[in-house]
Amino acid sequence: MDHLLQLLVNGLSSGAVYALFALGYTLVFSVLGVINFAHGAVFTLGAYFTYLLIGGAVGANGLLAGLQLPFTLPFPLALLLAGVGAAAVSLLVEAAAFRPLRRRGADPLLALISSLGAGVILVNLLQLLVGAESYAIPTSALGTLPAAVSLGGAQVRTVQLLLMAIAALVVVVLTLWLERSRGGKALQAVAEDPTTARLLGINSDRMVQLAFGVSGFLAGVAGGLVGLSVSIAGPYFGIGYGLKGLGVLVLGGLGSVPGAVLGGLIVGLAEALVPADYSGFKDAVAYAFLFAVLLLRPRGLLGRPTITKV
Amino acid sequence: MNTAAPLQAPLQAPLLHLERLSVRYGRIAALEEVDLEVRSGELVTLLGSNGAGKSTTLKAISQLVAPSGGAVRWRGQSLKGVATETTVRLGIGHCPEGRRVLSRQSVATNLELGAYLRRDHSGIATDLERCYGLFPRLAERRSQLAGSLSGGEQQMLAIARALMGRPTLLMLDEPSLGLAPKLVAEVMGILAELHRQGLSILLVEQNARAALAIASRGYLLEAGRVSRSGSATELLDDEGLQASYLGR
Ligand SMILES: Nc1ncnc2c1ncn2[C@@H]1O[C@H](COP(=O)(O)OP(=O)(O)OP(=O)(O)O)[C@@H](O)[C@H]1O
Ligand SMILES: [Mg+2]
Repeated sequence: MDHLLQLLVNGLSSGAVYALFALGYTLVFSVLGVINFAHGAVFTLGAYFTYLLIGGAVGANGLLAGLQLPFTLPFPLALLLAGVGAAAVSLLVEAAAFRPLRRRGADPLLALISSLGAGVILVNLLQLLVGAESYAIPTSALGTLPAAVSLGGAQVRTVQLLLMAIAALVVVVLTLWLERSRGGKALQAVAEDPTTARLLGINSDRMVQLAFGVSGFLAGVAGGLVGLSVSIAGPYFGIGYGLKGLGVLVLGGLGSVPGAVLGGLIVGLAEALVPADYSGFKDAVAYAFLFAVLLLRPRGLLGRPTITKV
Repeated sequence: MNTAAPLQAPLQAPLLHLERLSVRYGRIAALEEVDLEVRSGELVTLLGSNGAGKSTTLKAISQLVAPSGGAVRWRGQSLKGVATETTVRLGIGHCPEGRRVLSRQSVATNLELGAYLRRDHSGIATDLERCYGLFPRLAERRSQLAGSLSGGEQQMLAIARALMGRPTLLMLDEPSLGLAPKLVAEVMGILAELHRQGLSILLVEQNARAALAIASRGYLLEAGRVSRSGSATELLDDEGLQASYLGR
């Protein structure tokens, strides 16, 4: 029983990461009708930003070998700033890989390739600057907070609680914003019909930037938290999460906020419930599950009956 | 008298003035040297058959397409290089062809987004009630998704949404399309009433008879050129127009 509870907690917290990831994909997808393949790189950068901001030093292998910021920020502040930095990178990706194609009226699908390219460039650049080694964000970054608490027999790490709490908060805030606020409704209008949105006085480019900014922020924060909960396994570590986030997005239903969350939690739980002896099959189990669901529900669990293309 | 003339000149400039406006789509010339004016308080109709260039004219005014020649002037100023969002801010409301309501949003949200650029909350609330008064069907369905409205109701919503922006000039692209004759009469009646209250209107129509019945002046577009223009009575009496566009 205690064991099961432990698995549930582990599953939900890694599910929270997938959900944060998929929410970022979903925001951009719902506005542009296309996946941003540079999202994984933005997540990775968020992790490195966090590492540097809490005072971590660059290893011996990159151009920036030995670099260390002259200050040390407390973890929450570092995470927030890393999110802002990741949002800035995400805006850059939009300006370089998406906007020029949109201006020329190119098929939105072309942005798949240009964003993939942007992601690869970012990751290669990162490797050039900081080398390929892994970095760990020490749990001591949490300061006086206990590393773990005991909850009904399960050991719940503080970072797991943080992940779950932040994901829950993000979902509530994002949903309220999209459904209730003037900006959120305008974003949805751009998603449905950009030309009509412009005739209502909505600046579509600004709304697209907003979607990229928010999605980059979420990815950056998720990256920092994963760096703390697991480690930063080199410049390529975002790719695995990126692919799984994509699976989660499709599982939950493209463009659906609750779908992204539900999909994330399901994949996280499915992985956690794989017995430890077979942990090498975790990914296979997650994808097999995804495949099975899509056979039964091609639009994902909570997908809209039709997706409007831009 | 004479000394006042230069001062009065800008005030007398038409609200909207198209000067030898040309638009091309690649090699296709959609508009060629179109001259057209709408003065403050006028209801002007732009007539023409399919493909004549009516929608293109409105798109060029809203800066959705860039002219290849000539100019669009708003209160005497060229709109060259101005963003579509800015034309809305300047007071040009455009109710596009084919309704284009936001189908996944409620009727109320569609109307709310019509007032997107406005900040006068009490004015918006007043205008909302006024729209519901003009279109009681919309009032009954305010929380219904716009995509589930009937075609005629969607047309009303599109018109009401454009009104929510409180435009100086309201441009409508074939608001009678696909409506039953009774609804056409209702929509034209509402436009005539808005005109009577002082709104300037540029009405694109294929239904020439219905449009000329409420318009002060009209232009006829044929293959991208203005072939006739004049007062509504002149156009109604025009024999060529009668043969091709008034079905007589
Ligand atoms: N995006 C476009 N690309 C190429 N050609 C276009 C485009 N839009 C319109 N055209 C062409 O320009 C011409 C004018 O089109 P426009 O839509 O302005 O006509 P219209 O008078 O509004 O017709 P209708 O009454 O059928 O709506 C047509 O020949 C049309 O085929
Ligand atoms: Mg047309």
